[in-house]
Amino acid sequence: MLSIRNLNVKYGQIHALHGISLEVETGRVVAVVGANGAGKTTLMMTLAGLLSPAGGEILFEGTALPKEAYKILGRGICLVPERRRLYANLTVRENLLMGAYLRKDKAGIAADLERMYDLFPIMRERIKQYAGTLSGGEQQMVAIARGLMSRPKLLLLDEPSLGLAPLMVQFMFKTIREINAEGVTVLLAEQNAFQALDMADDAFVLETGRVLVSGSGKELLENPLVRKAYLGVKH
Amino acid sequence: MFTQTLLTGLAIGGIYALMAVGYSLVFSILNFSNFAYGSIIMLGAYIGYYAMVRMGMPIGLAIAVSIVGSGLLCWLNERLAYAPLRKRKASSLFFMISAMGTSIFLENLVYATIGARFYNFPELFAKSNLEFRGISIGVLDVFAMVFSFVAIYGLNLFLQKSRTGIAIRAASYDIEVCSLNGVNIAALIGLVFGLAGALAGISGMFLGMKYIVYPTMGWITNKAYIAAVIGGLGSLPGAVVGGVLLGVLETFVSAYVSSVVRDVFSFSLLVLLLMVMPTGLFGRFLEEKV
Repeated sequence: MLSIRNLNVKYGQIHALHGISLEVETGRVVAVVGANGAGKTTLMMTLAGLLSPAGGEILFEGTALPKEAYKILGRGICLVPERRRLYANLTVRENLLMGAYLRKDKAGIAADLERMYDLFPIMRERIKQYAGTLSGGEQQMVAIARGLMSRPKLLLLDEPSLGLAPLMVQFMFKTIREINAEGVTVLLAEQNAFQALDMADDAFVLETGRVLVSGSGKELLENPLVRKAYLGVKH
Repeated sequence: MFTQTLLTGLAIGGIYALMAVGYSLVFSILNFSNFAYGSIIMLGAYIGYYAMVRMGMPIGLAIAVSIVGSGLLCWLNERLAYAPLRKRKASSLFFMISAMGTSIFLENLVYATIGARFYNFPELFAKSNLEFRGISIGVLDVFAMVFSFVAIYGLNLFLQKSRTGIAIRAASYDIEVCSLNGVNIAALIGLVFGLAGALAGISGMFLGMKYIVYPTMGWITNKAYIAAVIGGLGSLPGAVVGGVLLGVLETFVSAYVSSVVRDVFSFSLLVLLLMVMPTGLFGRFLEEKV
């Protein structure tokens, strides 16, 4: 579905991604794990069109991605950014409607709003509340729901578990699997390596802008290098 | 006397509110004070004057021409002067300098082509008054007041209810995420400038009819700027409240104290208010949970 070949991204003098190559296959949950500064967010922002690559190619369903972020969403790739970044000055409902900005099917949008309230029942009580007044976990639900409202083929999640209570983290990962079961391919970046690897089909470990190892989630959980560096397991 | 002053104040306050809303719209999305706005208002007055006096259009049509003309000019202003800065991610200081340059350029363009002469709109109903229980108010003032509030109400409805309106409010909070949601930001900003320009056309027309049309008439937007800051820059309800408040208070100072100290009063009010409430009456609320 998505194939990234030899991708290079720079912020001025800083070389953030050094020739990354990776594949995301249709219908899977793919995790990119790594420490702070490994380049996870840079990768996500480049895929969504907020950063432009210095070299390499990104193919989505066989063709190159457009340059502008709003056109990339039109192709079916949606990023839920790090720290959720909801519109605090809009209500929960308006935030969700912004997610459906490119869609014209009013009936479909109304039906999807209902689906989102079913997925996250607590949101139903918060429809008219300003998004800035929600708790961190509730904000993350709204952020994911806002992303889903665009009906993406590929959902990019940047640190969905950041700053959440442990129970909420579990709930979030369970929800991501549910979303995937409905046919949305998911690429997520996570610092929370153990849980991300545990739930992902495929995974990549990023270190200082390079892919260190890749494999299925379970394989990487067993990989001694990964266990030592990211899971804090001593041998 | 009191009601009389209040009504006159509301009429001028309505025009201040229109201009302040135009300022605030642009500020809310690009975070800089568009000092070229006064010149767009001035050009709106000239367009209205030419349409009505030189080409003999009826007043309604002249207002429409002024709205469309100023809207286009304001849009063009953004395309030529600010869009290149946006592409380079320049800081808001550079936008402000560019706006000042645009303002000086437009004023001098009018001096060089049309000249420094003062123009008067025909005394269509400028001197006719409505009398009611000893209160007398100019027909023009009533018209300006009603038209301003209808325009602001319409704009508010658009921003609250329509899909594009919600996107404008979203962009005022986070422009980057707005582009992630599929909004073509360049087009949206163009639209915001067009809307601000349309408001400039209305206020230019009314200012021209109430006073006179001349190249530096745009400086009256200093008042609109004060109104926008009093209300809280970037907040539209704030701009309306600030505009009306300033118009009414000014008129009262003129009537009961002296018209000489009117501007001293406006600026003192601004300084005092900012000392007490640095973000204005309706300052932006920002909450981020990590």
